[in-house]
Amino acid sequence: MKKFIALLLVFCMVFALTACSKGANNGGTPATEAPAAEPVVITACIASEPETIDPTMISSVDGNTYVNHLFEGLLRYGSTGKAAADDPKMNSAELELGQAKSYTVSDDGLVYTFTLRDDIFWSDGQPVKAQDFVYSWQRVCNPDQAADYGYLLADVSVAGAEEVYYDGAAPDTLGIKALDDKTVQITLLAATPFFDQICAFGNLMPLRQDVIEAYGDEWTSPEHMVCNGPYVMKEWVHDSYISMVPNEKYYDQSRIGPDEIKWYLSDDENAILASYKSGEYDFIETFPSDQIASLKASGDYYVLPSVTTYYLYINSENLPDWRVRAAITLCIDREHIVENVTQGGQIPATSLVTGGITDSAGNLWQNGTGYKEIMWAGLAAMYPDADLSTYAGRCELAKELLAAAVADGFDTGITIPYRFNNLGTHGAIAEAVQQDVNSVLGLNMTMDSTEWQVYTSTLETDRGWDVCRLGWQADYLDASSFLDLFKTGGAYNFSHWSNPDYDALCNKYKTMAGGAERDAVMYEAEGLLFSEGGFGVSPIYYYTNSYCLNKNVKGAATSTLGFFLFNEATK
Amino acid sequence: MFGYILKRIGVAFLTILLIMVITFLLMNAIPGSPFLTEKSTPEMIARANAKYGLDKPLIVQLGNYILNYLKGDLGTSLKMQEGTAVTKIIFQEGKFALSFRLGVCAVIVAVLIGIPLGCLAAYNRGKWIDSVLRVITTLGVAVPSFVLCALLLIFLGVKLNWVPVISGSLETGKSYIAPVLGLSFYPMCYIAKLTRTSMLDAINQDYIRTARAKGLKTRVIIFKHALRNSMIPVITYLGPMTAGIVTGGFVVEQTFQIPGLGKYFISSILNRDYPIIMATTVVLATLVILMNLVVDIAYKLVDPRISLTKKGEN
Repeated sequence: MKKFIALLLVFCMVFALTACSKGANNGGTPATEAPAAEPVVITACIASEPETIDPTMISSVDGNTYVNHLFEGLLRYGSTGKAAADDPKMNSAELELGQAKSYTVSDDGLVYTFTLRDDIFWSDGQPVKAQDFVYSWQRVCNPDQAADYGYLLADVSVAGAEEVYYDGAAPDTLGIKALDDKTVQITLLAATPFFDQICAFGNLMPLRQDVIEAYGDEWTSPEHMVCNGPYVMKEWVHDSYISMVPNEKYYDQSRIGPDEIKWYLSDDENAILASYKSGEYDFIETFPSDQIASLKASGDYYVLPSVTTYYLYINSENLPDWRVRAAITLCIDREHIVENVTQGGQIPATSLVTGGITDSAGNLWQNGTGYKEIMWAGLAAMYPDADLSTYAGRCELAKELLAAAVADGFDTGITIPYRFNNLGTHGAIAEAVQQDVNSVLGLNMTMDSTEWQVYTSTLETDRGWDVCRLGWQADYLDASSFLDLFKTGGAYNFSHWSNPDYDALCNKYKTMAGGAERDAVMYEAEGLLFSEGGFGVSPIYYYTNSYCLNKNVKGAATSTLGFFLFNEATK
Repeated sequence: MFGYILKRIGVAFLTILLIMVITFLLMNAIPGSPFLTEKSTPEMIARANAKYGLDKPLIVQLGNYILNYLKGDLGTSLKMQEGTAVTKIIFQEGKFALSFRLGVCAVIVAVLIGIPLGCLAAYNRGKWIDSVLRVITTLGVAVPSFVLCALLLIFLGVKLNWVPVISGSLETGKSYIAPVLGLSFYPMCYIAKLTRTSMLDAINQDYIRTARAKGLKTRVIIFKHALRNSMIPVITYLGPMTAGIVTGGFVVEQTFQIPGLGKYFISSILNRDYPIIMATTVVLATLVILMNLVVDIAYKLVDPRISLTKKGEN
């Protein structure tokens, strides 16, 4: 026993000495050292550990945010200096020239030629060349790379992308060429009105082939990563933080703000909020939903629009009568959900294409001339006596449609399983929908909650659900980003809704140059989603980007795609 | 003794092998994929599976795992730190060391405070101090750790500002306080209860009466004679508790944002990062087996009457 106690005491002493020495090393400052100016450090927490920060492989908002600070594409999102909304500390960021100093577009809109700046360098001093872009674009499209956004270039009609990604053609057949060290030429198969946005896409940042080949998957570690953006990665303590410091080789030093940006990696909403309240975080964008009211009252809480829609799939195979699907869509009280359930300033949806996306004339999509409330427009035409402008009126029509379906044999005794993933407010939203379906239509909706991975991987394989949820964020500011989801056989058309006319319209707008004519085709397509035979989808609300930002921070910016930028911020 | 330890190590290897097989089968039985994202399609997942060899038959994959483990290769992360060697993640990047440091501190606090508290309660049985300690220890084993951690975070971190809200990589002495308290409170209370119960049992034994009759001081009787014999149940608990604390402080690591192994283990399951799940399970299992072996040997040190072998050999 004595030996046991002695051993324990020795262990305690060794440990205590180790701890003390650690403390002294970290906290101690030599007495002779002169006090230095306090560096400006912006601390933010936008998510937990990113899956990757390899630009080719990223697919999340947080991954894109980190990449936007470390790399710069042909074009970039830069702060306009104007407030994005009601928070004067947060500016809007718009598309502007980045590594390219100019570009031209051929008359037919099919050939883009970019001329790179002369003063652009990688963080190791090597010049940024056109070949770095060619390598990066070929890498993302290469099916062997298995990038989440491998399909992107085919989607936006880059020549050869479909053959490379889907048929395994050689990556060098892709329609991007380096005409010389400073000239990049990209060829499209069809005019793509939003192609300039693609040129600032996180997955298409230039990359150094020699670095990636030398270090393999570990090229993204701080000691190996070579960047061309305003910041470089200084440290990445996995599951803890990513530290970025200014890139001395960046051409526009006047647009570099803080001496360090420290991105804390956490997903514990309570801990994140506690860290913000204690002053350890300057910026957060996740909070426990029950704290939103008090945050709003404190004046720290701001809301920005987001290009994301929260919607329900209604299984067109299990509920083949479109009137039943329409009745479910009509009876959901969206105002109640955003005001009492989510509480984050979300906007009740009146279309699938989210708020924030505009048509070619610059009108918000859901307010497009002649297309207001497109979700109800088809029904309004079919049932001119129905009052679809009020929830009560919509409920009346819902009952009428259900009664008609019942007359044709629909059995109201069935149960309608609603499947969702057990995270955040999805359960509460499901309960609100269940309440509406039950009280308005008298149908029995059951809840089926699963973990996210199980949820998404079984939507196709276990089709015992009638209703399920998903959110979709636009990849680019164009309605097609949403409309493409519901093409027959689409990977995200989980409701298996199919309409040949819809598919034909989707194929048509793909080949059209931007303008009112293309808008009309897309509006027509969206109208089919909510007309007779439709309602495989039931949009609930448009997301918002809510955040809290330290009152001392100025000059932060946000792009329309929802990426926050701190490279020009001050404190 | 040496033969016994060798035998136990042999059994441990077989146990770990069995754990690997069960873990492998279970993680492949649950739906999901490390390559599943909000925007991934079945084709993309199939491509990624082919890239990492997950399209091969399960038996081949399992065989590869076992062969690689025998060579000391725990594989590479498929998702959370894609392409990075698992050994590097767990050992070189300090995840295990961080959890270990935190866990050892918590064990020390739990033992050094829990045992004296138990003795104090037993020594003062029926008095007010016993009642107070019983209430505290009962509360300690009843309150879930996430509640305790949240309270520590709010009061010590946010309200009083005594400790940092983010403990991070535990670089300062202050950053240890809240997580160590959060992690050690339950075992400390449990140890105190165990010690009290077994101490009361020991106090009523004949040899204690004899010691009293010989005129020994109560303090000597309690700490020299009674405590040693009442340590057996406590030591039984210490083995798995140490392994659990050192590696299983998920809630504490999550709340105080410590990038340790416990948090990583849970994340790996949610992300279906198979090599990480397998490696962390094997590391945890090894630790539990090791601690149980240490406990068995400690029995012998505490009570020489206990035999570690069937025949009663020493």
